[in-house]
Amino acid sequence: MSTLARSVTRVNLAPTVSQFSTGVPKAPVFVNFAAKAPHDAHGHHGPSAIRSDVAPSWATEVKLRNGFNGLVSKTHVTAPPTVPGSFRHIHTSRAVQEAPEVPDYSSYKTSSGSNNRALSYFLVGSMGVVSASLAKSTVTGFLSSMAASADVLALAKVEVEMANIPEGKNVIIKWRGKPVFIRHRTPEEIEEANSVDVKALRDPQTDEARTKQPEWLVMLGVCTHLGCVPIGESGDYGGWFCPCHGSHYDISGRIRAGPAPTNLEIPEYTIDEGAGKIVVG
Amino acid sequence: MSLANNFYNLIFKRNSVYVPVVFASAFAFGIGFDLGTTAFWDSWNKGKQWKDIRHNYVQQEE
Repeated sequence: MSTLARSVTRVNLAPTVSQFSTGVPKAPVFVNFAAKAPHDAHGHHGPSAIRSDVAPSWATEVKLRNGFNGLVSKTHVTAPPTVPGSFRHIHTSRAVQEAPEVPDYSSYKTSSGSNNRALSYFLVGSMGVVSASLAKSTVTGFLSSMAASADVLALAKVEVEMANIPEGKNVIIKWRGKPVFIRHRTPEEIEEANSVDVKALRDPQTDEARTKQPEWLVMLGVCTHLGCVPIGESGDYGGWFCPCHGSHYDISGRIRAGPAPTNLEIPEYTIDEGAGKIVVG
Repeated sequence: MSLANNFYNLIFKRNSVYVPVVFASAFAFGIGFDLGTTAFWDSWNKGKQWKDIRHNYVQQEE
């Protein structure tokens, strides 16, 4: 505590800056801001100019004295308090700036514009990628909810054991509410179906185009005229005969006589040789 | 620096390239996302799905 008490600076500082009635500090215009504060010239640079706003060395001193912890400053003169109308040679107001001080933003400036440009385009493109996949999954979700479910698809197929149908026999099965004719044809019937002059037919179709294997004829049992069910193994051409209006179909299901315009339809089917099954649908 | 310029000149410079690249990346992203989530699902439910325990039952039948 005693050290602190001893190191009190005995300087009478000017109490305040004198000011105009508006509150603006009144600064004398003859202060030399360019001059440096007193310092050791280190033997070069020549004699340094003394700052006029610093108390001269003869008026004050700062010494490192023995017996005290630290510097002791002593002022030999008593500065008079500022009275109205007196000049004030020490002041703390800032120098007037010619232009407002603008902060230095050069560290924020980018070194190359091409990196930023590529990054901006990349971000925009990534946004596009994410939106496009979102839109795609939304549309896919709606479409898949509209598609037939697995149980409906399973009911839409019909399997027929091929071993249960002997050669030269018809089988009528129900598939999606419609009759389907399956005939296991004999070699003579295949030969007969192939011997027909295709160009002379009303709906020209070869027998190969209507069967996947010549022994197996699979077709929809709906007359193409008005939708009756033809009768098998009858008619003038050894195939099917529609009793409603007298359409005659041959052994390949092709229209040969009567009002029907086209051949009997062939449904989508596969022949599974390994399992010995015909899968319609 | 030059990499960014290459990307810009290759992809971003023309919309006729940029937009198809975006759609193609969306397609690839969708496939990758599906594969990733499916792999995660399978690893999370390891040993619970039919394909994991199928051999326990099918061998006995045959």
